[in-house]
Amino acid sequence: MADAVHPSSLDRAAILGIVRDQLAEILEKSPDEIKEDVSFTDLGADSLALIELVEALEEALGKYSAGFHIDDEDLEGLLSVRDAVNYVADKLQVT
Amino acid sequence: MGGDFAPKEIIAGARAAVDELGLSVILVGVPELLGDPLGLEVFACSEVIAMDDDPAASVRKKKDSSLVRAAELVRDGKACAMVSAGNTGATMASALLRMGRLPGVVRPCIATPIPNPGHTPMVLVDAGANSECTAEMLVQFALMASTFVKARYNVERPRVGLLSIGEESTKGTPLVKETHQLLLALEGLNFVGNVEGRDLVPAPVDVVVTDGFTGNVALKTLEGALKFIFATVLSALDTNDETRAAGDVLFEYLLPLAAELTPENQGGAMLLGLEGICVISHGSSNATAIKNALRVASEMDTANVVAKLRLAIRPDQP
Repeated sequence: MADAVHPSSLDRAAILGIVRDQLAEILEKSPDEIKEDVSFTDLGADSLALIELVEALEEALGKYSAGFHIDDEDLEGLLSVRDAVNYVADKLQVT
Repeated sequence: MGGDFAPKEIIAGARAAVDELGLSVILVGVPELLGDPLGLEVFACSEVIAMDDDPAASVRKKKDSSLVRAAELVRDGKACAMVSAGNTGATMASALLRMGRLPGVVRPCIATPIPNPGHTPMVLVDAGANSECTAEMLVQFALMASTFVKARYNVERPRVGLLSIGEESTKGTPLVKETHQLLLALEGLNFVGNVEGRDLVPAPVDVVVTDGFTGNVALKTLEGALKFIFATVLSALDTNDETRAAGDVLFEYLLPLAAELTPENQGGAMLLGLEGICVISHGSSNATAIKNALRVASEMDTANVVAKLRLAIRPDQP
């Protein structure tokens, strides 16, 4: 297992980059197409794609915060790329 | 280990697949719920995804469910395929989240063989996985289904039709019209144009492409109509002594046809676009249906379908 990287090495822009990269891979789009203010619906992400995103983010962010977990109850509130970035930033206490 | 007649019929079908087809089958389920496994290997888990559970959420919540564990067996190379008669959405979600998509595949799709008496089955795609689709997704479905038909039924150049409300390219929704143009431009695909609902049986093509919502409606309409026709014919033959005598003569010819058309003998639907094989059986599957589903899963493995789909989607990255 890779060594944990402290969350302080992350900033909001880095989180946005991670969310965009993961979503781009799931939706087979270019990261440039993933704008921060776009809703998941407008990106064509259905419920399965969002679960894929959640699992991908948990894996990608696990190296910054061991066991990083997105609560299923919180998923309903994540409607856009910005929502996801804000959620992760809050969880990791990144400003 | 789901389905209307689980676990008894599922286990009986698995046992038959071992005895009659020589396959190796692992039952994945909660031991206390399985009952007698008839001597088959059991991979024990502790949870079940119910038919009414939310597909995507249940895969996250029930990590030790039979569906999730079965998909992991395929992912980890301990099984070559998974077969389920349980919650269709959860089966797809488990397979997608645990096996993963083939590189380049936007969404996996459900390919359902429709009996075509005297010919190889016509494959309807998408039969229900994706209610909302883009034209690019439909083009991928067409490509994957064509590759599947070629590998599974040895059809050299599968004829692909696009389901619409008219044969003309100008007919249909904006999605259908855009897809038509993209399919025309796709090299290597034998796209023969639009087909209509009446062309589903008998089908003049090997593949019919549509979105998952339309495909599922078309499939269920077809199933209902076939059941109704069979019931009507049987009822007419049971009218009086004269018709019953006629029935005795006709049954010899009708029964093989009925056997060819019955879903139990088709082996279920296939999920295309994943890094593994997943066969989805009808919820009402009996032992025969499960045995046939296992046969189909094994034949897909032997035909190397996943590798062929990978190459079809990304020919530049074998």
